[in-house]
Amino acid sequence: MGDHLIFVQGNEACVEAALYAGLGFFAGYPITPSTEIAELLSLRLPQRGGKFIQMEDEIASMCAIIGASLTGLKSMTATSGPGFSLKQEAIGYAIMTEVPCVVVSVMRGGPSTGLPTKVSQGDVMQARWGTHGDHAVIALTASNHQDLFAITVEAFNLAETYRTPVILLFDEVIGHMREKLIVPEPGEIPLVQRLRTSVREGTDYHPYLPREDGRLPMSDFGGVHRYNVTGLMHDMWGFPTDNPQVAYGLMRHLFDKIEGHVTEIARMKEFFLDDAETVLISYGSAARSALHVVENRRARGERMGLLELQTLWPFPSGAVRERCNQAKFVVVVEMNMGQILLEVKKAVDDPERVFLANRIDGTFISPTDIRNILRVIQGKGV
Amino acid sequence: MGALKQVRLSGFGGQGVVLAGTILGHGAVKDGKWVAGSSSYGAQARGGSARADVVVSDRPIVFPHVIEANVLAAMAQTAYDKYTEQLARGATVIYDDELVRPRSIDGAIQIGVPATSTAIKLLNQQQSANIVILGAIAVITGIVSKGALSSAIEENVSERFKDLNIRALELGYKLGEADKQ
Repeated sequence: MGDHLIFVQGNEACVEAALYAGLGFFAGYPITPSTEIAELLSLRLPQRGGKFIQMEDEIASMCAIIGASLTGLKSMTATSGPGFSLKQEAIGYAIMTEVPCVVVSVMRGGPSTGLPTKVSQGDVMQARWGTHGDHAVIALTASNHQDLFAITVEAFNLAETYRTPVILLFDEVIGHMREKLIVPEPGEIPLVQRLRTSVREGTDYHPYLPREDGRLPMSDFGGVHRYNVTGLMHDMWGFPTDNPQVAYGLMRHLFDKIEGHVTEIARMKEFFLDDAETVLISYGSAARSALHVVENRRARGERMGLLELQTLWPFPSGAVRERCNQAKFVVVVEMNMGQILLEVKKAVDDPERVFLANRIDGTFISPTDIRNILRVIQGKGV
Repeated sequence: MGALKQVRLSGFGGQGVVLAGTILGHGAVKDGKWVAGSSSYGAQARGGSARADVVVSDRPIVFPHVIEANVLAAMAQTAYDKYTEQLARGATVIYDDELVRPRSIDGAIQIGVPATSTAIKLLNQQQSANIVILGAIAVITGIVSKGALSSAIEENVSERFKDLNIRALELGYKLGEADKQ
């Protein structure tokens, strides 16, 4: 057995994956239940020649990774609920300025300081709409450590491809649980490297002029090209403008580069969906409880399946509709008041068939919790 | 070993049950098993009840937490009282016989192990009781191999405590062997 097989917490798996993806800069302000990410990176990142900074707060951490990314480093921060709230304004800045970066939020019970050591999935909508203004965003999640590793690498790849912040929404159960992780060999998972401009020094470089494929080649800030970066609506030189045509063009670009690639960005896992009359939809740790129920029911001949979402945003509405259109019941299993439930209801033809199996008290939703709710939904009594 | 075993180590904060759980889980991974480990997370560092759950299986683990323990180790009375309420049928309960007074439990096999007193008498180090009891659990349940446990101790314990913990493991094995007979 080599060094590549380890028994680690989800947070540690996230660190291994970030290093694998080529993380060069981390700034953060440790907060439960994400603390191990900062703790471990404070040791591991400098060993690899990267930079680790513990900032004075979450706002500064988010701003620092934006700056570092502009200079050419793959950058990440990690936090949880309250810290995620603080980062929101700067996440909007990263969206507007099209700076690739990865923001990890290991979800705990909220609102406010809530249940710091307990699990929830209450920040799904904060990931979507936490920052102000109309915008598109990418948010991913995972339910086991091997997937978490792959999804974290994917987050860095998507951030570079679409020049946007990518949010990794894990939860306390996954973050703290220990599982086996096989760290892939270098090259086993392809890495997307920064797309740099071919414009030479001394030639006019347009930092915000997309290529035909919509991608924007970057120039390391502070390097050979001088250019402006602003959160204001800006033109192709990066200078502020209130020209409606330019503003419209930028808004469409920011939206379309993500919403126009829903299929490419969508990651999901399917279990027994082919003939499923009851479709469970879940994500993160809750998906494991859902799969436990599905496997047991299948063994008894019941036509039940699971759609596990790994991409939460942009929401893969088309794929969800397709997987649900034969189902009598669709049950969304999540640890909040129904944040993905709303998206599923919007996606399917008959929202009346969509139900919620949830838990909101900081306790990991169990197969028994799901079974109890299923009994009611399927009309088998309480 | 059967398909899936749910192991729960329990005691009070400071006894090292969380570390013992990590070592057990890591050892099982080295044996080629699938493992999901989770532990109490909060202000248990000084007193209060502490718990480490380790689910071990020959195939990928879906639901990662312990529902009903097949193996329970109890190093404190409060932990014993609480977690013997959540046992699978035919469970094995291994308790520290100096710290826990057992009650009769239908269908459970209960084994007292002098983990803490052995650690004090033979190692002059009460803190090693967690590894003593872990050694006994390994022998009695066969859930993890000795080689894998030793190797997991090497990787999870700081340099200056390695020898002590390996000796603790050996003592636990002897105690477990004696109980098995």
